[in-house]
Amino acid sequence: MLRAIWLTVQNEARLLVKDPIVLFMLLFAPVVIITVAGYSLGSLYGGAANSFRLPVINLDHGKLADGIIQALRQERAVTLEMLDDPGEARRLVSQRDRTPIAMVIPAGTSTAVAAGRQPRLILFVDPVRRVEVNALELRIDELCRRVTDQARATAQVRIEASGKDLREKIKRLSAEIASEQSEIRSQIARTQTALEISIRTQIAAAIKQVSDATEATIKTRERQAWADVQQQLSQRQAILLKIQNYLTQLQSSHRAFEDWLAKLKTMAGSHASDIPPPPSFPRPISETELAELAKPVTAPKLDPTLPATASVAAFSIKIPKGPELRDGNLIGDLEPFQAPQALTLPGDLGFVEQPAVVGEAVTVNAFDQYVPGFGVTFLLIGMMLGIALTLFDERDWGTLKRLQVSGAPLTGLLLGKLFARFIVGVVQMVLLFAVGWALFGITLGRNPIALIIPTVGISFAAAALGLVVASISRAHDSVMPLGVTISMAMAAIGGCWWPLDFEPGWMRELARWMPTTWTMQAFNDLMIRSQPPSAALWPFAATVGIGMIFLGAGLIRFVSLDD
Amino acid sequence: MSPAEAPILEAIEISKSYGTRLALDNVSLALRPGEIAGLLGPNGAGKTTTLSILATLLRPDSGRILINGKPPKTNGHGLGRMLGLVPQSLALYPTLSAAQNVWHFARMQGLSRDDGTECCKRVLEEVGLSVRADDPMDAFSGGMKRLLNLACGIVHRPPVLLLDEPTVGVDLQSREQILMRIRRYADAGAAIIYSTHYMEEAERICDRVLLIDRGKLIAEGNLEKVISLGGGRPRIELTYRGQLPKGRFGSLAGVREIGAAGIEGKATLEMNSLAQVAEVLYGLRGLDVNVIDFNLHSPNLSDAFIALTGHTLRDQVL
Ligand SMILES: Nc1ncnc2c1ncn2[C@@H]1O[C@H](COP(=O)(O)OP(=O)(O)OP(=O)(O)O)[C@@H](O)[C@H]1O
Ligand SMILES: [Mg+2]
Repeated sequence: MLRAIWLTVQNEARLLVKDPIVLFMLLFAPVVIITVAGYSLGSLYGGAANSFRLPVINLDHGKLADGIIQALRQERAVTLEMLDDPGEARRLVSQRDRTPIAMVIPAGTSTAVAAGRQPRLILFVDPVRRVEVNALELRIDELCRRVTDQARATAQVRIEASGKDLREKIKRLSAEIASEQSEIRSQIARTQTALEISIRTQIAAAIKQVSDATEATIKTRERQAWADVQQQLSQRQAILLKIQNYLTQLQSSHRAFEDWLAKLKTMAGSHASDIPPPPSFPRPISETELAELAKPVTAPKLDPTLPATASVAAFSIKIPKGPELRDGNLIGDLEPFQAPQALTLPGDLGFVEQPAVVGEAVTVNAFDQYVPGFGVTFLLIGMMLGIALTLFDERDWGTLKRLQVSGAPLTGLLLGKLFARFIVGVVQMVLLFAVGWALFGITLGRNPIALIIPTVGISFAAAALGLVVASISRAHDSVMPLGVTISMAMAAIGGCWWPLDFEPGWMRELARWMPTTWTMQAFNDLMIRSQPPSAALWPFAATVGIGMIFLGAGLIRFVSLDD
Repeated sequence: MSPAEAPILEAIEISKSYGTRLALDNVSLALRPGEIAGLLGPNGAGKTTTLSILATLLRPDSGRILINGKPPKTNGHGLGRMLGLVPQSLALYPTLSAAQNVWHFARMQGLSRDDGTECCKRVLEEVGLSVRADDPMDAFSGGMKRLLNLACGIVHRPPVLLLDEPTVGVDLQSREQILMRIRRYADAGAAIIYSTHYMEEAERICDRVLLIDRGKLIAEGNLEKVISLGGGRPRIELTYRGQLPKGRFGSLAGVREIGAAGIEGKATLEMNSLAQVAEVLYGLRGLDVNVIDFNLHSPNLSDAFIALTGHTLRDQVL
């Protein structure tokens, strides 16, 4: 069996070398198709669409229009064609092969935008070229957004500047008001003080006048009274002097009595005790007291000043309050103006695409899809040619029978052929990836070696599918129609030609049973999503599983047909 | 070649139908080493079917095949070495060179690398294709292709060779060469079944003839036996001018007018033996007939073939 497989592999290699058409099919044809598809359908993946002419009718001639036109001029893929007549633009779009889209910038657009309204550009589109139009509309939308964003940003800056200016003016004004206010306040205060002083002065003068007059009167009256008193006092003093003399004489008489008595007592001898006590003399007024009487009488001094209650200070002078100035901070009243938010335009909600995988580009190189996609397609077709068709060839040539006479097991011959073509398939894919990398700059993912995983899986499954097709085809001539139909269907449903999401749900469900689906999933994961090689393992298992089913069914049916 | 030797290849009561068409009906045959058996029969008689069954390519509906007295273990390499089939239709890779074709089948039929190299070289020389060994097969003439077809079947020198019309379209020189080789293989001990429509080839190289028609083995044996089974007798063909009266030879014992009767100026007479020629010619004396020419013909395999299988075209019957 192994010998049969090995000899078959060798023979397949010889056959292949002799078959330049198949070699062409295997490598050159996919490169051609990939080139065409990659450049034609690149816009599906957000890549640059074809270079196209964009007729623009500028009826606005404003700043914004200039901005949009300038931005469009910087677009690599756009060639602007300035027109005057919207009708002509319409005609250009409706003509096939001219341009899928034309743009009118209506008059007043700039002014309207400046006035905060939402004017609209007019796009004439060719509905047949919807995909292109969508891509272009996306670009134009982006440009418009960029231009209006710029305008908005400028306006915002201006608003902020004038807001700031306004705030400063208000601040200055309110400072001025404040200082004016305090000036008025202090003036009022000063006036009040002056008023008070003046009132007080006047009152004081009045009081002084009154008190001076009063004092003079008092002094006069005091002097008169005093002269009166002096006169009366001098009369009484004269009397007092007489009394004083009398008293001094009485005192001397007292002492002469005392001496008399003492002599009497001494003369009375034993009968002294029987003498009755003399009457007592009242105690004489002391000399000092008597001296007091001698002192001149001093007139009581009258204070001519008015009593304290009469002083001006004691008066509380009530001056009525002047006009009331409102208290408080003018700046505080301007608070709402100070918040900068109050002076901003409302923002604009948009989106920016971010790759799910950090560091990857958002727009995909379309060839990242088409190189593996069409590679797989041609791998399948190659297997139809290389296995299904050559099995029929070998039947027709009679070589298959002859080999069977040689005693080689049919299974061995089939496996040998499959293995040889499997190797060819792997080499084909590897070469395609190399060409894709060199010509179209496809991404080979984190680890290019990992691409061999899905490659091996799909080569195996495709080879097994080739055997299935050989076993269900009735004749040589039905191999290619049947094989190509199956290959194309599998490639299409499996997402080789367009993203799987383009397909309706039921088709995606069907796709789960196609080895192509799993393989494309693995290639997308590895190349576009930059997943680690392990991401390819499960799809690989699924592909090989489906391939095993193909292989089993193909072998059983082919061998049973032969009996 | 001794008949006592045990058959190397045997078919026992094999029958085969394709759908409702019975292609082989209870055919038995045996082949011994050193023997060439000619397999003869009209188109569609079942020759190729027989060979296919012997080569184990077809499974008979009933009956058995024995190789060396044992049922062939299908799909074993032993069988590959035992058998060599040269199919009636080409069985070659058109794009490969002659050498590559021979090499691939040599290896597949069990030859080692070294033996393969040697045998390939030798067989290409034998069939006269050494000079064109590296040319692709589809650049060959029809005859050369047939030679290559032959080479691929015999490259490994199997003890049993099944040859299905190997000389169709081959030029005289090559045919002589081929016939000589085949005879030599047999002489070297190979057992060979040689299917052909060329009776003289069979007469020249076959030890035995198997005549098959409509799936049935209708005659079998050495040449003499089969020719005699055809019941053929010597004939004389006359070309003459004049009027040959009907029943003129009725009086001659064993002489009978056959075929082509009524055709102006031609007559074929069957005789018991060539010795009656003189009598026949003598009998024409005195008649208003001028014999211009005459041919003698002794019975051969073709006669037997026609006699045994009839004149009808096969596709009119089948
Ligand atoms: N694959 C087939 N399918 C159906 N019928 C077949 C097939 N092969 C042969 N036959 C029929 O079987 C019969 C015997 O065919 P076979 O090829 O054995 O004849 P043959 O003796 O080799 O004839 P020829 O001399 O023309 O080669 C014919 O009637 C033929 O039509
Ligand atoms: Mg035949």
